[in-house]
Amino acid sequence: MDISRNGSPSPAYPKWTKVVYGGMQPGYNDNYTDESFLEGMIMNANVVKRDMLKVMQDSVSISQYLCIVSLVVLVWAFTLRSNLDENSLFFIDVSLLGSGFLILLFSEEMHSLNLLHYVLNISFFTTGLYVLAPIYQTLTRSISSDTIWAVSASLLMLHLFLHDYSESMVRAAGALKNPTLTSCISLNASVVASVFIASCLPSRLHVFAIMLFSLQVFLFAPLVTYCIKKYSFRLYLFFSLSLMVVTLAFVYTLHRLLFVLLLSLLVFVTMVCPYWLIRIQQYKFKINGPWDEAKLCFDITD
Amino acid sequence: MGDQKIHRILMVSDFFYPNFGGVENHIYYLSQCLLKLGHKVVVMTHAYGNRSGVRYMTGGLKVYYVPWRPFFMQNTLPTIYGTLPIIRTILIREKITIVHGHQAFSTLCHEALMHARTMGYKVVFTDHSLYGFSDVGSIHMNKVLQFTLADVSQAICVSHTSKENTVLRSGLPPEKVFVIPNAVDTAMFKPAMERPSRDEIIIVVISRLVYRKGADLLVEVIPEVCSLHPNVRFVIGGDGPKRVRLEEMREKHSLQDRVEMLGAVPHAQVRSVLVSGHIFLNSSLTEAFCIAILEAASCGLLTVSTRVGGVPEVLPDDMVVLAEPDPDDMVQAIQKAITMLPKLIHKSCTLE
Repeated sequence: MDISRNGSPSPAYPKWTKVVYGGMQPGYNDNYTDESFLEGMIMNANVVKRDMLKVMQDSVSISQYLCIVSLVVLVWAFTLRSNLDENSLFFIDVSLLGSGFLILLFSEEMHSLNLLHYVLNISFFTTGLYVLAPIYQTLTRSISSDTIWAVSASLLMLHLFLHDYSESMVRAAGALKNPTLTSCISLNASVVASVFIASCLPSRLHVFAIMLFSLQVFLFAPLVTYCIKKYSFRLYLFFSLSLMVVTLAFVYTLHRLLFVLLLSLLVFVTMVCPYWLIRIQQYKFKINGPWDEAKLCFDITD
Repeated sequence: MGDQKIHRILMVSDFFYPNFGGVENHIYYLSQCLLKLGHKVVVMTHAYGNRSGVRYMTGGLKVYYVPWRPFFMQNTLPTIYGTLPIIRTILIREKITIVHGHQAFSTLCHEALMHARTMGYKVVFTDHSLYGFSDVGSIHMNKVLQFTLADVSQAICVSHTSKENTVLRSGLPPEKVFVIPNAVDTAMFKPAMERPSRDEIIIVVISRLVYRKGADLLVEVIPEVCSLHPNVRFVIGGDGPKRVRLEEMREKHSLQDRVEMLGAVPHAQVRSVLVSGHIFLNSSLTEAFCIAILEAASCGLLTVSTRVGGVPEVLPDDMVVLAEPDPDDMVQAIQKAITMLPKLIHKSCTLE
């Protein structure tokens, strides 16, 4: 085998060019590697340098949503322990609905016509839920409550895992993008979890109230927090922090171990993960070059 | 180079006739050329439909259609050791001296290279396509490639860009990788005896109508060119999922009489389609070599192509107009090609 390494070009031959036509270039072997080899390679072309504070601020939306879900679970737990009766549940429902609407009104400047539309929809939705409540109540009568808790817990895990933390699933009017498959699965998992929990409750009114509550939160909380975030980021941060404090306080009254778990989870999400992300950024190694598939610069509408 | 020595070569790839494409063609013609030089060539591929067992092709080319069913994109299921018995049998029965694997995403090729290497055979690998580094599929593929090519004797790439890509992906030392461009049979692809008329300019496109071949670019480019030049006609050969979009475009801009869609063109008829045109248009988004523009140039057409992968290396500047893969730039390139045309035709007339 006669592989001459970098077949040294003698001055008589013309300079090597990066072309494959015209047969072998005189003086250069087929395995000749020019100095220009890998000249077109670009490393880490569009890697964003992140800074700690920014990443921490962004992670707030995750910890905030964790708190929202924990609050829902708290309400479930309190209702199952009969610490909350249906009247107070209805009070929570109505006040949540009212405050949610107010927030939307202030931040989005909705038209009155649009509001009427919303109110109509909500009333239809509520009536439907009320009619279906007896069915939900007897849905899982033959299943032990341990199973139901286990299934609900895993469904909530799935919900949290697949939830779209960047945007809200229920769109404000005129939103362009369709929700992705994963966010749909996530939403459905949360709805099923709330149906399962509701089916353990003693009375029809309980079931109705708790379903209304969970659906309100799972469907509209992301939209409301999104609107707050768009309105003012400071307000959003303040809101999230107060939500965290409130949640932690309530969890503390429920169970010490759960409190420690939630606190460590929140610390992990807002402090450890951002630090971790920035630490592993230095190992990022992305290669681009002339061999990359070209990207089309226009949208394909199929 | 022991030129007196007769080799017995086993070509391995999942891609071979009756499937059709650049790799299949390459293996076939390479085998024919080696047979002509007096070497013995055996091809090994997986079964296609009911075509399984041993077949002979032109020139005594022996083909083993191993009865393994393809499971994904004509690839056999990777089993690592499942194919060892049959590969060993073929290697010993045919007294093979060199194993030549083709195409990086052929699992059969990887397995054969690995087994042949463990049995102590000399192994050559040819890479026909370009790969990225960042998506899940490529990362997986590149790991497999690093594993099987770790001990390969030599590797062949079809262009310098492809060599850079392969060296990065497989971690082979650059001096082990040879650049040997693809070739066309110029006896098969020769210009027409008489030039096509100059009353109208015919632009030919022959490619599979898929995303990677830039069918979406065609959808943007064709109406634009048709509105700018009333004497231009398009002939599109090829089939694929994007054909519907092209037909929609044709309806939408009422270009039925100016855009002709031929559907899939058998390779034997490619030449007759090519020689009916003046300009060949290639809109690929990724291409290691692009044999299509070489065939077109061999038939005497001026080519317009996207500047992707190894395409800029294939033809000298006076035979090709390159454009960025973006509709506006491609329209400009086609216009430039149209202005270049009369000169070319005139020149060849004076030569005759």
